[in-house]
Amino acid sequence: MQFGVFTVGDVTPDPTTGRTPTEAERIKAMVAIALKAEEVGLDVFATGEHHNPPFVPSSPTTMLGYIAARTERLVLSTATTLITTNDPVKIAEDFAMLQHLADGRVDLMMGRGNTGPVYPWFGKDIRDGIDLAIENYHLLHRLWREDVVDWEGRHRTPLQSFTSTPRPLDGVPPFVWHGSIRSPEIAEQAAYYGDGFFANNIFWPKEHFIRLINLYRERYEHYGHGSAGQAVVGLGGQVFMRRNSQDAVREFRPYFDNAPVYGHGPSLEDFTSQTPLTVGSPQEVVEKTLSFRQHFGDYQRQLFLVDHAGLPLKTVLEQLDLLGEIVPVLRREFAAGRPAEVPDAPTHASLRQAAAQRKAEVR
Amino acid sequence: MTTIAVVSAGLSEPSSSHLLADRLAAGVGAVLPVEVRTVHLRDVARDVADNLVTGFPSARLKAVVDDVVGADGLIAVTPTFNASYSGLFKSFVDVLEPESLAGKPVLIGATGGTERHSLVLDYALRPLFAYLKADVVPTGVYAASSDWGSPQGLSDRIDRASAELAGLLAGRAPAAPVDKFADVVPFDQLLAGKRHS
Ligand SMILES: Cc1cc2nc3c(=O)[nH]c(=O)nc-3n(C[C@H](O)[C@H](O)[C@H](O)COP(=O)(O)O)c2cc1C
Repeated sequence: MQFGVFTVGDVTPDPTTGRTPTEAERIKAMVAIALKAEEVGLDVFATGEHHNPPFVPSSPTTMLGYIAARTERLVLSTATTLITTNDPVKIAEDFAMLQHLADGRVDLMMGRGNTGPVYPWFGKDIRDGIDLAIENYHLLHRLWREDVVDWEGRHRTPLQSFTSTPRPLDGVPPFVWHGSIRSPEIAEQAAYYGDGFFANNIFWPKEHFIRLINLYRERYEHYGHGSAGQAVVGLGGQVFMRRNSQDAVREFRPYFDNAPVYGHGPSLEDFTSQTPLTVGSPQEVVEKTLSFRQHFGDYQRQLFLVDHAGLPLKTVLEQLDLLGEIVPVLRREFAAGRPAEVPDAPTHASLRQAAAQRKAEVR
Repeated sequence: MTTIAVVSAGLSEPSSSHLLADRLAAGVGAVLPVEVRTVHLRDVARDVADNLVTGFPSARLKAVVDDVVGADGLIAVTPTFNASYSGLFKSFVDVLEPESLAGKPVLIGATGGTERHSLVLDYALRPLFAYLKADVVPTGVYAASSDWGSPQGLSDRIDRASAELAGLLAGRAPAAPVDKFADVVPFDQLLAGKRHS
């Protein structure tokens, strides 16, 4: 099982001091968080992609390439890559390049994005959201697997004899997760390709995601990639920890109350009971995180959001220290009773090995 | 049995909107055996506001929404505030999923301080439900304060409107909302550009 952090990359004033970091500070803070994630023993760092203030990460492969050069083991990912408004040709090129530079430590999560105006800014129509996600990814999938592509679709200029370069490292495309909050169509898409499905569950109650993930698992089996229990599932989580539970609540409350997205709405207590948010001791975070498995089945990737709503970098790095302490416990507990047929999340090494095996079998 | 959801946005205690809603429901029940589920939006006012902010309903609000969306028919009553439906009433409508009232038989009612605002039904409520593609019965019922003290008028309107809703419900198959999870569009059709409407 993989553990990591994902960041939205918001530039938000710290509600306790009123201070807003500069873009430069926030970008460097994201890098510091990634380096720290590797240092404390996490497996994955994933950055968001946004094209409007107050967010900074508009250019994920630039950031991830820089982090790749400064890390050894960390898997670099996205949460999410906008499959609707980016040109799939450019995604194919950018992430293949990153794959080479990072020696394969790359995967990515497709998402439709949640900011309406991004569609027209990039010349698209939001009403085509699902259709863009389906068609663009279909092209991306081919660009990484076929050396020469002829292609024609509804949303992009046709291609004749096009070769996306560089070719994927070792001929193995990066593993893809499809991130989704509410669309059964995206669960169906992930299942069709046998890709991973990441339920971005941090802002919503679990009942909804149980249906979404079960649908993905059923359809994964339907399309012949393996049993429902072998489907590749990722989940979000949102935590704030202090040794003492009350200290965590006291310190986090002003950030919660003023947070973008859910601030000025439900109380911290209501929100923690309804969503994965856990504010408390490391032990409470362990317990809540382990409960995900009861609801969603054995899964492959757990990403935590720890750095939004104006939390200062120092505090975030302390959170990562605590994550570093609990992750070994989580690894042990998740491993206990995990059926042998449940796979780990694919990595470049495992995918390369599987490809070599398939080749050998064909011969 | 046929189910109807009764939604009242009345805020006063006691509420004339609740009273009107109950009378309308009883009127339907007098014509057709119905199971009635009543919702006072005041009881979920905070949940509605939270849903506007977070984008998801609390468990309590979800149960209310499921009742309303899953019912065969709907009686919707709002007090008139500043010559329109109340903010709470509209906010509740705003947290419903798109299309979730499409085709649903609806009886609209409103209460108000002055009878001069009775057109709130036809200028505010009816266009709203038209947009939602609901099947609104021809007669809506407006009850001004003065109506509660005058003979006949109001009762006649209640009876006529209730009978219209009962008539619509009588001939109809039970509500069957589209379940996007139960009947997923297969991938080859998605790729060909087909979606749920
Ligand atoms: C903010 C506010 C605005 C109102 N505006 C109007 C109005 O424009 N026209 C009207 O007839 N009554 C108006 N009223 C009176 C209410 O419509 C009346 O009190 C209503 O019938 C109360 O319903 P309830 O007893 O179910 O709460 C208003 C009341 C409030 C509180």
